[in-house]
Amino acid sequence: MTVRSTAEDYTKEKKAGEGTYAVVYLGTKKSTGRSIAVKEIKTSQFKDGLDMSALREVKFLQELRHINVIELIDVFMASDNLNLVLEFLPADLELIIKDTSIMFSPADIKSWILMTLRGVHHCHRNFILHRDLKPNNLLLAPDGQLKIADFGLARLMGSPQEVLTSNVVTRWYRAPELLFAAKHYTSAVDIWSVGVIFAELMLRIPYLPGKDDVDQINVTFRALGTPTDKEWQEVSSFSNYNKIQIYPPPSREELRRRFIAATENALDLIDGMMIMNPANRWDTVRCLQSPYFQELPEATLPQDLPKLNK
Amino acid sequence: MSNQSDLVLSRPYLTKAQLQRCQKYSIPDRRAYNQKRLLVFKYLGQLCVQLKLPRKVLEATMYFYHRYHAFNKFETEMCYDVGTSCLFLSCKQVETFKRIGEVCSTALKVRNVPRVTPDILDAFKKRVIQMELRVLETCSFDYRINNEVHIDEFIIKIGRELSFSYDCCRLAWLIAFDVLKLELLITVPSHTIALAVLKLACELLDEIKWPNVRYNLFETDAPSFNEAYFDILNFYINVFDACDLKDHDAVRDLNLKIETFIEIKKNAGLEYGLTVNPIALDKDDYVSKERNFGVKERRYVLKKDSLLEESVSKKRSISDVS
Repeated sequence: MTVRSTAEDYTKEKKAGEGTYAVVYLGTKKSTGRSIAVKEIKTSQFKDGLDMSALREVKFLQELRHINVIELIDVFMASDNLNLVLEFLPADLELIIKDTSIMFSPADIKSWILMTLRGVHHCHRNFILHRDLKPNNLLLAPDGQLKIADFGLARLMGSPQEVLTSNVVTRWYRAPELLFAAKHYTSAVDIWSVGVIFAELMLRIPYLPGKDDVDQINVTFRALGTPTDKEWQEVSSFSNYNKIQIYPPPSREELRRRFIAATENALDLIDGMMIMNPANRWDTVRCLQSPYFQELPEATLPQDLPKLNK
Repeated sequence: MSNQSDLVLSRPYLTKAQLQRCQKYSIPDRRAYNQKRLLVFKYLGQLCVQLKLPRKVLEATMYFYHRYHAFNKFETEMCYDVGTSCLFLSCKQVETFKRIGEVCSTALKVRNVPRVTPDILDAFKKRVIQMELRVLETCSFDYRINNEVHIDEFIIKIGRELSFSYDCCRLAWLIAFDVLKLELLITVPSHTIALAVLKLACELLDEIKWPNVRYNLFETDAPSFNEAYFDILNFYINVFDACDLKDHDAVRDLNLKIETFIEIKKNAGLEYGLTVNPIALDKDDYVSKERNFGVKERRYVLKKDSLLEESVSKKRSISDVS
């Protein structure tokens, strides 16, 4: 079917940024007036052709449709360039956390974590691991809805024998199995990241800020205790286990002191999301069914959530 | 022309008749194409071995290769480049990424290209990369195909479900290697192919009777299954010499001959498969019209709804070619 040009239907009003594999423009879809972001994929400049991140982004966003996952509106080729049209999302959770002029309540935190978990649950039930969850990748729509973005590191859950790279997830949000360079891991890596984000929202500073990969191991286990074979069978067989220092796990009292404003149910949830042994770590269903989401205060409605001042 | 856009609905599988209609424009000499296809397959197989890539890469590569030639002209001197580009892309698709330099230098080695200079290598790399998007376009950027579970994995899953023996599944796995040479890859989905090769393996081993399978339990139907089953049988009957199965140590005891397959076909009942109404075929622009490169912008959608929405959205449509 021949229709009016797609490229002409989208205005590119402003260059929003230039990433490693794409130039992002902000604009409007003329026919609907909807704000959009056009990602023009750079194809020729790369030594290895079409970038893996671009490929993954199309691959996963094409099939995922959920209110808490960024929408891929269009894919088109214009003048031999690949263009991805995404919904325009003006803010992200990192900006909100860092903006000290913004006050937010426990109900607001609950709302953001709830939306994150719903989005992650949708990814996981479609067998997709995001592998780069962090506040910077949780974008906020003008109506307050939180949307998971940047599927450049995502991949399908492999067969059990498939070897996966452990060099994923931004350092501070990396699960212990990744710190141990595990070759096989599950959707539990994403849950850990959500747990760290939850803590960061409560503390308003990064929870486990390792300076480098070695320091990250130390920071993580100092804060949460070093896992042992008792709770995580054969954890000591990871090659770098012997080099790490053994720390005791924090007591409940210590956690209460750490997260002063958190309720017991909130502490249970964060505890469940950050269980060292990935096999015992809570999955999205268990997290979403946590009493934390049933107790008061109710999660703030998305439209009532704090917004960036600028 | 500049203010127009081609809106394409992804159709990942085409029936034999639809495919032949597409190839009317893209493949002028069918015999040359078939000969080259087998050579390219052999070359890609060697390349996968050298690069230590799993079989699913070869499966995805051949899917791309067949799709590419359904919509782009087949040129003898280009087919190795197309094959290499399909392989390079497949590595990304199935998450077994290889660097372009490694793929291209190994490819030139496999093809025994003499005196490879850095200039020759660079020119080759450039050609391979340039073709990537073209290949993806012929698949309408549809990543639902060749994504995760492939024929070999389906053989194991279905074989286990139907309680087939290890030997039976292994034989099916060997047959499935030959299937990668066939255009069947773009005719029916991988799980249907897996089911068909399992049936053939059962019949060749003669140890278990093929159960009365309810196709819908395996997300397929009788016409698709039969399309696959008879296509594979016909391949062994018509081009037995081109098959790899006969040379495999594991099947030496079976003493496979063309007659074996003729006999199976004789007992298989009426040959039938996927059909298309010839009138519908004539009206189908997707397969009956050569691609219009005058339209500089091409847009791809996966769902029919999106296409319908687009045509309904008033004033947007300039002219409906169909």
